Amino acid sequence: MLALLFILFAGLAIGCAIAVVVQRNPLYSAISLIGVFIALACLYLLLAAPFIAAVQIIVYGGAIMVLVVFVIMLLNVEEEVRRPTRLVFLVPTAFGLAVVLIAQVAFILYSVHGSPLTPREVVSDTGLSASIGIGLFTKYLLPFEITSILLIMAVVGAITLARRSFLVSREEQTPTGARILAMPTSPATKAADRSERADEPPGGPGAIG
Amino acid sequence: MEPQLSWYLVLSAILFTIGVVGVIIKRNVIAMFMCIELMLNSVNLTFVAFSSFFHDVTGQLFVFIVMTVAAAEAAVGLGIIIAIFRNRESLDVDDASILKM
Repeated sequence: MLALLFILFAGLAIGCAIAVVVQRNPLYSAISLIGVFIALACLYLLLAAPFIAAVQIIVYGGAIMVLVVFVIMLLNVEEEVRRPTRLVFLVPTAFGLAVVLIAQVAFILYSVHGSPLTPREVVSDTGLSASIGIGLFTKYLLPFEITSILLIMAVVGAITLARRSFLVSREEQTPTGARILAMPTSPATKAADRSERADEPPGGPGAIG
Repeated sequence: MEPQLSWYLVLSAILFTIGVVGVIIKRNVIAMFMCIELMLNSVNLTFVAFSSFFHDVTGQLFVFIVMTVAAAEAAVGLGIIIAIFRNRESLDVDDASILKM
């Protein structure tokens, strides 16, 4: 019974993961990724870790994917277009690396195979939130506090990165979708810069003296 | 028949490999970002599998911390993606291969 459930959810996870890579529209990739997260949460339940399963749904399926989908819709991402790659060796490199990874994992499994495993007890409080909380606030208090500092840094960094670098007046804004994003340098001004530079004498301003 | 520890490890390896292939193949920076999330999740699966089979809660504690780091990474990474899109009007990593404008 448990094996059947494992095969069901593992197949779901692998299928959705392949869909994440294969899809060309990033929104479809994001929805497939939510499928992977939900399948993994079910696997955590099979592993008797209900707290981690709940956090997986809340943090990954909820918070992170909402951020990703929000950014996809904000930036109005179009589908990837097929065009000749500049770095044509990347695809064979990817498959070569995949083969190396699979070989490493096969070696690990070969090493693990003979080792005796303690049988899983049905009654165990390993995955319950009480034991996780006790571990988090006693033995592993320092990583917990460091994580909170990291979160503060992430909040400050995200706001700093995503805010407008300076306010653009309404006349200067382009009428396209970029109006929301208030680009600091619009392509028109960049092109003007380049033509000005082209108008300069080859020696530059310093060549007069 | 109960699922063995090796089954979970194999599943985790397959998911991680799919993530690596995706990061290398994809060109859209958001799609690459999602493949990185996939790799983080496969590592989490390994942590939880070992934690559950060896009756040690430490693995699940670190899954908790990895999830927090992933959330922070999502916030900062998407901020960087928005900043790149503002400057270049493109999400293709090939367009951003030179850091200079």
